Order: sequence, then C-alpha cells, then structure tokens
Amino acid sequence: MKPAYTPRVQRSHVGAYRPRIDGIEKASGRAKYAGDLMVKCRVPGLLYAKVLRSPFPHARIRSLDVSQALQLRGVADILTFEDPDVACLKSTNAGWTDGVDTLSYERMMWRRFRDRRVLGSHARWVGDEVGAVVAAEREEIAEEALRLIKVDWELLPFVLDPVDAMAPGAPILHPELGDTNVLPEDTVGGADVFVDKGDIAQGLADADVVLNATTTYHNATQNSLDNWNCLIEWSRDHVTVWSNSYEAHQTRMHISEMLDVPLNSVRVVSPYVGGQFGRGDTGDQPFFLFTALLAKRTGRPVWFRHSRRESFHDGRQHICYEGTIGAKTDGTITALSFKSIGNVGAYADHSMFAIKFAPVEATEVAFAHIPNVRFEGRGVYTNKMPACMMRGVGNSQLNLILGRLVDGLGEALNIDPLEIAWRNFGHQWEQLPNKSLVEVLRTGAARISWKEKRHLPGEGSLVDGVKRRGVGFSFHPGWHAEWQELRRGEVHVTMTVNADCSITLDAPTVETGTGSNTCNVLGCAEALSFLGISSGDIHWISTVDTDASPQDCVQTDSSVSFLQSEVMAAASKEVKAKLLERIALLLDATPAELDIDAGFVYRRDAAGCRRSVKELLCEASLDPITVSVSRRPLGTRTGVPFIATFAEVEVNTETGQVLVLRLVVVNDCGTVMYASGAEAQQIGGQCIALGESLTEEIIYDERTGFPLNFNWIDYQIPTMADMPEIEPVLLEVWRGEGEYGACGIGEGTVTCTPRAVLNAVYNAIGVRIDSIPVKPEAVLRALGKTI
Amino acid sequence: MRPPGLQLMINGQICRLDTGFSVAPTMTLASLLREHFGLTGLKIPCDLGACGACTVIMDGKAVLSCMVLAVEAAGHEILTIEGLPADDCVVQAFAEQSEPGYGTALQCGFCTPGFVMTARALLDRVPSPSVSEIKEALSGNLCRCGCYAGIAQAVLHASEIQAKASTR
Repeated sequence: MKPAYTPRVQRSHVGAYRPRIDGIEKASGRAKYAGDLMVKCRVPGLLYAKVLRSPFPHARIRSLDVSQALQLRGVADILTFEDPDVACLKSTNAGWTDGVDTLSYERMMWRRFRDRRVLGSHARWVGDEVGAVVAAEREEIAEEALRLIKVDWELLPFVLDPVDAMAPGAPILHPELGDTNVLPEDTVGGADVFVDKGDIAQGLADADVVLNATTTYHNATQNSLDNWNCLIEWSRDHVTVWSNSYEAHQTRMHISEMLDVPLNSVRVVSPYVGGQFGRGDTGDQPFFLFTALLAKRTGRPVWFRHSRRESFHDGRQHICYEGTIGAKTDGTITALSFKSIGNVGAYADHSMFAIKFAPVEATEVAFAHIPNVRFEGRGVYTNKMPACMMRGVGNSQLNLILGRLVDGLGEALNIDPLEIAWRNFGHQWEQLPNKSLVEVLRTGAARISWKEKRHLPGEGSLVDGVKRRGVGFSFHPGWHAEWQELRRGEVHVTMTVNADCSITLDAPTVETGTGSNTCNVLGCAEALSFLGISSGDIHWISTVDTDASPQDCVQTDSSVSFLQSEVMAAASKEVKAKLLERIALLLDATPAELDIDAGFVYRRDAAGCRRSVKELLCEASLDPITVSVSRRPLGTRTGVPFIATFAEVEVNTETGQVLVLRLVVVNDCGTVMYASGAEAQQIGGQCIALGESLTEEIIYDERTGFPLNFNWIDYQIPTMADMPEIEPVLLEVWRGEGEYGACGIGEGTVTCTPRAVLNAVYNAIGVRIDSIPVKPEAVLRALGKTI
Repeated sequence: MRPPGLQLMINGQICRLDTGFSVAPTMTLASLLREHFGLTGLKIPCDLGACGACTVIMDGKAVLSCMVLAVEAAGHEILTIEGLPADDCVVQAFAEQSEPGYGTALQCGFCTPGFVMTARALLDRVPSPSVSEIKEALSGNLCRCGCYAGIAQAVLHASEIQAKASTR
C-alpha cells in the first residue's frame, strides 16, 4: 500500500479515497458522449458535413466551382464563402472567453483580434477551414464531393518562423488588422512591456551574480480522444445543438450572437465529454455556425465532426523565452527579467493569454518580494496551426525559463536551489518564506531523496558503463483559488430533496473527466450531512442542457472541484430551513422549536421522540423541496499555494535516450476535495507533461509548410509502457477562504515537469539542454557527439 | 436476385445484413457496430489503429475494430463491451479503483471500453499477469487523461477477483 495523505480536518465525505461516481457507467461502456447520440441508427435523416481544408500554408481562393460536386448522388447541400448566408457573418475570434465567463460579441476577451472569417477565402495554414462545406447522406460522399469542387487557388508566400515573420518584407497574414505580423497591444493583454516593476537596470547593477538563459517550448497539442463534434437541428425558429463542447452557455451565446437568434431559441446540450485539456477552450468555433446554417437550409439534422487528423486543430504556443536573473551572494534575487516571442500560428485565439495574461498572474502571486521584475512579450502570426488554450496555459512555458534560472543561480552561488526558491518567491499578502512553498519543496525533496541523489552536474556514477543519472526539480505558484474566479460571476447549484429523502443535484458543469462530479456529490453529502445521507443517495445530473440547467460552471481552472461545493455549503442552511418549515406543520410546532441531526428531527427542548426525516417527508406533502442558490466566488485575496515536480532521470550517453525513472508530483491543495480524483489528476497530468518533455512536437516540412505528423503514430503520446513510477503527494498547508479554502490543482500538474526533467538531465550529464522535447539527437548534440 | 449478405455473431446473437448502400465494402467493423447496431461503447478516435479505443474481442482475441472491414468480420464471433456480463470483474475493477497512490482507473472514460476489452482478452489468456505483462498488453491503448497507474492496478485487482471466483 502506498501512503495516503493526511487531511487537516477529518470530514465525513469531502477528501475521501473512493471510486468515481461515474465509474461503473464509464467502465461498462454505457456512458453516452455526444458522438454516441449521433449515430445513424439513432438519428433518422442525419446528414454529415465536411469542410474544405486548405492544402496550402498560405493561399487565397479566387473562385470555386461546385457544379460537379452538387451532382454527386447523396449530396444534400453545399455552402460556399460567396453565399450571402456566410458572407454576411461578422469576423470573429476563437477567444471570446477563457471559459470562465460568458461574454457577448462586443465584450469578447480578445476583441482586438477578430481575425477569423467563417468559411473565408483566405487560407493561412495547411488545414484551415475555408471556401466550402458540404452536407451529404454519408461522410464518404461529403468527402468525395469536396474532391469534386474545383478550386482556383492563388498561392501566397508563407512564413513559419516568428522571427522571420517579424522581418521587413515578410508575407502578412492578416492585412485587415495591420501591416505587421506582430499582434498589436490590446487592453486585456496590455503593452508589449506588460510588467515593469521597480528598476530592472538598477536591480541588475545591485546583483553580485547575473545569469542569462534561453528556453524553447515547442508546440504540443491537447489530443483529447473525443474529437470535437456537433449535431445541429434547426426546426422552425429553434436551433438545438448536441455537442462535446464543454461550455454550453458560451456556445449558446456564440451561436445567438453570430446567427442573430435570440438566446432562448438556441438550446445547447452537452453530455459527458471525452477529455478536454484546453482543446476548444471556447465554444466559439466557426464549425458550429456553418453546421447550423446547413441544418437551417436542408431542414435536416446535420453532424459535423473532426477526424483525428483534423483534430490537430489548436495547441500550445511555441514560445522562446530569454531570461535574466540577478542576485546577491546570499541568494537574494534583486532582478528578474523576461523577454518572449510566441508563435501564435494563423489566428490569435487565446495566445495572448499565454504570452501576457498568465505571466501577470504569476508575477502577482509569486514574484511579489522581488523588487525589480520586467516582462516583455510579443505574439507573432505565422502560417502554422493556431495556438489556443492547453492545460497549464502560459505557465508551462514560463516555468521552463523560471526553473532554469533558479537552478542555474543555485549552482552559480553554490546554494541549494530549493533554498533559492523559498528565500525569494511568494505572494504579497504573506511574509517570506512562503509556508506552502517550503512544505512543498521539503516534502518533494524527501520523497525523491534529493540530498542523497543530487550530485555536481555530470559527476554522478556511471550505470552500465554508458548511463548517467540525475535529479532535478521545478516549482510554480498554483492558480485558481476562489478570489481569482471573480470573472466567473455567479456559480449556480440546485439541490432537490425528494419525498424519499433522496437528493437530485443539479450542479451544472460539463464533465470532461476531471472528477469534479464526484467532488460535487461529496460536497453535497457533506453539506446535507444533517440528513444522514450517503453519497449514494445523491443523483448528480450529468448532462448540461441550456434549456433546463442554470448557467454551467465551466471546467476551466480546475476550480469546479470546489466552487460548487462552496455554494452547497452556503445553501445547506436554506435546505434545512425549508425542511423544518414543512415538518413543523406536521408536528404542530414552529420551525424554531425543531432541528435535524443525522436524518432525525427532534425538538430542541428534548420533548417528544426523534422521528426520521424520511418518514415525516412521506407524511407531509410529497412535493420535492428545491433550493436554487447562486453565489459569486469570494474575493478575499489569499494568495495561492505552490506546486512542484521532482524528477529522476537516466540518460544514455551513447544513444541519447532520456529515461525518466521517477516523478514526485507535489500539490498543496488547501483542502483535498476528493483524494482519488486529485491523485488521478497528479498522475494523469504526467501523460501530457512527459509527452511534452520527451516526444510530443508537431513537425512541419519547412519547404512546403506542410505538417508531417498529424496522427498518433508519428506524433507520439506516452503509453502505459512509457510511463515511470509516479508518486502523487497531496498537502494541505495554504488555506483560502470559505468552508474548504481549496485551490484548483489539475491544470497545474503539467506545469513543472518539463523543467524538472531538463534540470535532472543537466544534473545527469552536466550539459544544459533548454529546449523541449528532449529527443535523443538533442542529447547527443549537447554531448558533442556526431549523429 | 438477392444481394450478397453478411452474417456474423455479435454478443451471442446471429446478425444478418444486406451489403450495399448501408454496408459499403469500405465500412469498418467499428463503424458497423456503432452506426448500424448502436453499440457505442467502443469509440473511434483515430480510425488508424493507433489508440485502441475501438478494441473488441473477435473469436477470443482482442482486435482493433477500426482495422477490420465489416465484410471481413463475416462468419466470426464478436464480443463488444455491451456483451460482457454486468458483474464482469474487469469492469468492476476499473470502476472501483481508488487505492491511494494510484489514482482512479478512468477519468473522461472515452478510452475505457477499449482498455477493458484489451484487459479482458489478456485475463482470458493469462489469468494472473505480472505488471510488466499488463504494461506490454495494454501499451497499444492510449489514455490521454493518463490513468495508466490506476489501470494497471485495476487489471491486477481484476485478476485477483477472477482467481477467487474460480476457486470457489
């Protein structure tokens, strides 16, 4: 048996090790995902849509001839960019919202970058949806029809590298936005120098040691298995969308605003979703719109789905960071400066979130005690797949440079880098050292045997004559405490106590796998513990339906795990009051004379016998008692806890292969809401994190601009055989506000691993590699060997 | 003249289909099972034999149903996840895994039916596999939620449950 975490407060339900509430439904194959509802035998009259995708990295459509395609048997409709239904649509952006809030077109988050046309004629990457979309009786017929469309392409020069794209004379991707590929400054992301605290030149002048480094984070993608899809019916004036969008209300807003249909005439239904990881973070993709238009024109249900190849659709920003750190000989950091260039690909989407927004948050919660901090960053359009949101957005790239500078500074000053970390990093509402950071690092160090295994770089003993081992770490502030969720607005929950004392829980959120559904049931059982119920008495509604549910709490920020439970804790008094009101009528008492404990009603003056709530409810009116509550997250600024990964690696100096032997993943959670789910996030996040560290990268043919590995054979995701031993460590040191004072952890579990691996590789071989993924050729090159 | 037919056994039932417009020669077994029979437990994320989510058991062996043509399945016995008994030990063990230190055996659950069928076929062949045998057998299945540690535990538990049941 592996060690279980020790809770700070022992609770009846919250914090438990237990199976997921959807375990049996999913393990037996009975759980229904959007694509399962759309199979031909379940949807009579179903049409399949396929969209034309550019085979060129940069081109314009001069004209289209669809006459031959229209004659193909089984083709129902073809919509082209010249059709008035499409041509009249406003330019948009796939960055209306980061999922936290539901925003209108006018207020969309990245409104400075409305750079997407719905079925435009200007293609900006290989795979761009342009020109035409076909609806047909079968998917193969739609594909064949696309092949029969005659397209007159005007090929344009293309650019793949952001530095080349900034050079004079580079092809301009978005002439409608300006005469440069550099994304302009905007009100949300801020100026190009978006943090400038103190005096960076003075801070560097005051330093005894100054260190520079450059890191490159390549472009992984989310790779959820449930390829993005939607089924749309447009019947009379009502649009119904079944989708694996994880943002039901935002998708509704998007369709309403773009197609000019009232909000109450658009219904979005989202059942279980097969993984998300930031994929399609927003519900505002053009495919919803052209599928809806096809449904309207044909009067039939239309299904659009991405194939696996087409699901290489958006991913993480490829960001190069230059970092400079200055410190006194005692390890006190005097200056921290970063400059970044992010390759945003063909569309801006959410890239400025990664390049500017996330580093601003990190500065606030971790660099508060460093007197001089500067960040400068630019996003640059190129003819590659767009970058958007991916688990750990922006923080993963920032951590790659931050962990490099701290590790390097420790070496330069001959101080343990763990000590450098806790001497300097923390939030402004607390004195240093930050208790959470100290505990996270001490615990991780003990679990990996830091003192015993750490040696001077490259000076460990040889294993099998050619292999060298090393250990490394990286740390980062967590994020997504309640006070950071204010933009979310009200968080809604409806609890219904049925006449048999069973509970129906509508805590609307699209379940993407995070386990927040189990957190919610545990939170509900805890809040209603006076009813003496178990979690098995609670039915959680698994499908979000905008016609029936209050606004969904989107699974971004890993914070649904506690936000809805906090609302339930606050609502439990109201449930009790309503119950007592009804029961008082039966017992000829006033509600104030009664109370409920462990499922039994008793008189406060101890007169009379205890009677079960269930029995009394059955005697009373059989109407269920429903309490709907919404609450804004608490705004108290509590800082955030810290997270860290420790890695042990073995590097084969002959083959260049890096083998990760062990990972220790430490999260201070504030409060663990559901231990098995939290550990699953810590362990599970390493599939993405190790993939990004070692193998995952989209490769382009530089000559043609064509992506070469849009499939799971050439783009390598770690399998069970590739994963090392992973030790998940849950801590409760920091505490936020509210009943639980928890913090989101799942998103951050990917953040520190790539740097921990790179620092461990350095410890093993004594040569720095600062670019991921670390493939064997990179190791051999670093070791000065010929490939 | 009667069009050539297609006959196969699915979850113990003989099924007969007319080939033609509804069952094209290019149709895969995966599509046939989902689109025609509504057996949507299996998923088709890659349609390329790379992820294992479409795994079914054909004549006792785990196969990737996206790599088998529907017409090739003619005359064979197919077992999908819907055909497993409700108390199948593999299903139970995947659902219940919560042992500290390993997380759960599933999160989003999209890959789970494929893992369950691969594991079922493994336990039919090797009743008490070692961890390395489990890793080897299940390394053709992708779980992007990364629940590999929990899955390995679940398969170990399933094998223990199966052994107990067979000695009763």
